[in-house]
Amino acid sequence: MSLEPGTWLLLLLWGVVVGVDLVSVPQALLARPIVVGSVSGLILGDIEAGLRVGVLLELFALDVLPVGASWYPDYGPATVGAAAYASAVPGWEASLGVACAIGLAVGLAGGASLQWLRHRVARDLHAHGDELAAGRSAAIRALQYRSISRDALRSAALTLLALGLAAAAAQWLSLDPRTENTLTLVAIGCGLAAVIGGALRSAGRGARMRWFVAGAAGTALLLGVA
Amino acid sequence: MKGRRAALRRLYAVQGAWNYERMLGIGMGHAAEPLLDDLGRSDPERHREAVVRSAEFFNSHPYLAGLALGAAVRGEYDRVPGAQISRLRTALCSPLGALGDQLFWAGAVPATVAAAVAAVTLGAGPWSVVVLLIAFNLFRAWVAAWALRTGLESGTAVGAAIRQSWLPRAAHLAGIGAGLAIGIAVPLVADWFLSPFQRGGIIGALALAAGGVITARLAGPMYAAPRFALCALAAALVFRLVIR
Repeated sequence: MSLEPGTWLLLLLWGVVVGVDLVSVPQALLARPIVVGSVSGLILGDIEAGLRVGVLLELFALDVLPVGASWYPDYGPATVGAAAYASAVPGWEASLGVACAIGLAVGLAGGASLQWLRHRVARDLHAHGDELAAGRSAAIRALQYRSISRDALRSAALTLLALGLAAAAAQWLSLDPRTENTLTLVAIGCGLAAVIGGALRSAGRGARMRWFVAGAAGTALLLGVA
Repeated sequence: MKGRRAALRRLYAVQGAWNYERMLGIGMGHAAEPLLDDLGRSDPERHREAVVRSAEFFNSHPYLAGLALGAAVRGEYDRVPGAQISRLRTALCSPLGALGDQLFWAGAVPATVAAAVAAVTLGAGPWSVVVLLIAFNLFRAWVAAWALRTGLESGTAVGAAIRQSWLPRAAHLAGIGAGLAIGIAVPLVADWFLSPFQRGGIIGALALAAGGVITARLAGPMYAAPRFALCALAAALVFRLVIR
């Protein structure tokens, strides 16, 4: 995977933006894999690869309900690395399986890093407990900006990990075409399982379930006719 | 009262210092600061107490936090007893969390994202992503502005204002929209990804998808889609390397 230094830098910056977007600011859906993949593909000059990776990882992200203090993966920076790998290997049918593995592994590491960040912010909070009890606005501002800066550093580290894995896989992983295709099919099957499983879990047994089934059945019927 | 625009901007970072002790508390305190400036000039002691209260524990959906922020700040200016303001913030946590999760995390977000995914598979390309971002963020910005305005206007009567608003009905409809959008997207995505492959590969991928769904239903909270996928990918790699 031979990328220009400018491309590396742009991908790193984009990884920081999407990593911070997930929880800290501005929570504008920039961290969604379909968005991250598209923009990463644009930066890499291979939009098709970015979109394919983005849509596949989005199937896993649609399974996530980031409610309250729950644990969830951080697919933003992970998708940057996955898209970089996909663009380095010719043909999405060959690259998607390994790209997905990179995205999922880094996504899980990202989820763990969010826990670390939350505990680190709590330690910071303790250190400034007296100032907060005294009603000092400056202490609140300092805590806020320091926490967002830490999230930016976390996102940068995660993006570097994802890009490093992508570069290593592109350089040293040598698979025959049948194995590559098998991995891609496995990744697609697991992605479909994730999105369907998540949809069934959220749908319950009410109106939402009926509309889900109607949408799926209607579209499948139309595709069959076409 | 000055500082509404600054507070609205800061609400975009209300989770900036999210932690397990005060959750959104610090972000709420940060967003309240510009709104409380006038109070600092007229009543410094009350301002100091208000700043302390503004950064106490708070948890809700981040996009609806403006309702609680506005109501609490209104209460500070109306000289509502501090303990009552703290109780109001605590009482708002659950309803704002539940409504916001239903409206956004389980509704508008999956609905718009699934619609964008479906559009990509139909050939709309990256433009579907642009439309997704614009449509979602316009709605989100409107909700944030409405929430802060409603909180500031309603004060301690914010609970009644939420009940009578469009929020509960919209949360229900957003869930239905999400179900429909995901339902439409799933077959389109399957077709988009699997059509270049041979029949055996397609059957294998669909069988794996069915197996994953069944495993998720049987395993319940123990199941995690990324771990299942990584295990399946590792098993497939080992299998291919062994039989090669």
